[in-house]
Amino acid sequence: MKNEKHVQPAHGVELLSGSLTDAAIQQATGNSPDFAILPWVNVVKIGGQSIMDRGRSAVYPLVQEIVENLSRHKMILGTGAGTRARHIYSLAIDLGLPTGVLTVLGTAVAWQNAQMLHYLLAQYGIPFIEPEGFSTLPHYLMERGAVVCQGMPPYKLWEPNPPVGRIPPQRTDTGCFLIAEVFGARKMIYVKDEDGLYTADPKKHPSSEYIPRISVEELLARDLEDLIVERAVLEFMARARNIREIQFINGLKPGQLTAALNGEPVGTVIYRNGDAK
Amino acid sequence: MSFDHSNSQHVTSSLMRESLVDKNVMARTEASVSAILPDVNVIQIGGHSIMDRGRSALLPLLDEIVANQAEHRMIIGVGAGVRSRHIFSVGLDLGLPTGALAALSAKDSAQNAYMVSCLLAKHGFVYLEAPFVVQLLPAMLAAARGAVFNGIPPYSLWEHPPLQGKLPPHGSDAGSYLIGEVFGARSVILLKDVDGLYTADPKLDPAAEFIPEASAQELIDKKLRTLPIEPVVLDLLTRAKLARSVRIINGLTPGNLTRALKGDPIGTLIKQ
Repeated sequence: MKNEKHVQPAHGVELLSGSLTDAAIQQATGNSPDFAILPWVNVVKIGGQSIMDRGRSAVYPLVQEIVENLSRHKMILGTGAGTRARHIYSLAIDLGLPTGVLTVLGTAVAWQNAQMLHYLLAQYGIPFIEPEGFSTLPHYLMERGAVVCQGMPPYKLWEPNPPVGRIPPQRTDTGCFLIAEVFGARKMIYVKDEDGLYTADPKKHPSSEYIPRISVEELLARDLEDLIVERAVLEFMARARNIREIQFINGLKPGQLTAALNGEPVGTVIYRNGDAK
Repeated sequence: MSFDHSNSQHVTSSLMRESLVDKNVMARTEASVSAILPDVNVIQIGGHSIMDRGRSALLPLLDEIVANQAEHRMIIGVGAGVRSRHIFSVGLDLGLPTGALAALSAKDSAQNAYMVSCLLAKHGFVYLEAPFVVQLLPAMLAAARGAVFNGIPPYSLWEHPPLQGKLPPHGSDAGSYLIGEVFGARSVILLKDVDGLYTADPKLDPAAEFIPEASAQELIDKKLRTLPIEPVVLDLLTRAKLARSVRIINGLTPGNLTRALKGDPIGTLIKQ
């Protein structure tokens, strides 16, 4: 017999003795209730290439709009990476470095963008927090209304390979989505430089059509060549327990962030079938 | 470098102005990868299967690791075990999300890894937290004789939503495998309390047949009801660039680890 030091379970699920890879046990764990940790928080992702790389002309008005919303909406502000990440990804791929190393490198770029956003918001008492400091997040949200963090999930060298190529599959869109999901956030808003989702990249194909609202299932089924969001977000959303819809807005248009925070249907909403109104 | 205030400021690169989500752009990034630490072996000590058994299972295994130290460089990942099952049970009851369960569970494997590092300290092994694995592993391996790390990857609150249920999909098997893959390790060896892979759980079904070798895709297609490793490792293997196989061996049988390090066909080899 096993010389196991047993601990009594607090829950009916046969977790202690059975195999955790057993499909039936896994399924049973899905029947447990879901508690939203921060149900009033809004996760807002500020695009790297789409917003931060544009500098003052794009970032200043957005910062102003964030400040104006501080008293009404609590926000976790995550940043994307952008053109410097593209540079270091191509350099690192050329040098033969693996995906996990690319993630470490790309994280530094999202971190730089988060620091810059934090400098601009510092006078309003908005802190920058590292993944390790997330336990202080409720305090800052209650006292100051927002925090800034870098959008990359903290996978570092442990980033899985993508199905094709070498670029880390879970980047800042995914990191911010997972923050929203784990805290049971009120909203997940992506601030980009387009009005939302199109049938193709509108920067390259002027004839592409605008999609104001679409289900994640339909979007995945369309299997588009290009998307407004990392594919991992759509895959995770299809099986998420808290986040039922995500919204994409144009951060270059004043008022869109405020409208989205107020619950208005600006930009594109991707929702989960059967969940959204 | 272009510097244009009217639009995005770009750094020239092959990915400049490209959507990294575009399938054609992603396909263009397919190129050869170099191994960072090609002579290192990643050894994973199971939590439930080895650690929870205490001295009788662990000490002979650690002796065997030390005996192989001169010939094989090893980094040791350690799993969580029964304390994680307990906290999963409590956490599920409280309604906590998958990411919170992952953050909690990683402390159980950290405890186990820390104990292993204490037991191996006199042989020159060091314990490295994730940030030190990122920054110091090569230096530590040059200076120290081996390293012990937390098998559970540092996904924490950012753990992926599982395909089914609420349990974190990336445990110590996945974390140890990913370390093998990113460093291009010589081998990834998972130490369990079964001889390898069977068509069913051999503890419950005496008619279960042993599988000495299989491809990850074959096993995914077979949809076995239980596996001695985390199913996500099979998915990771299908996308491997460097660590193209993992070997599952019985860590309770003396000599198995030594044979696996030599490359003998022992246990089950799961290939890409």
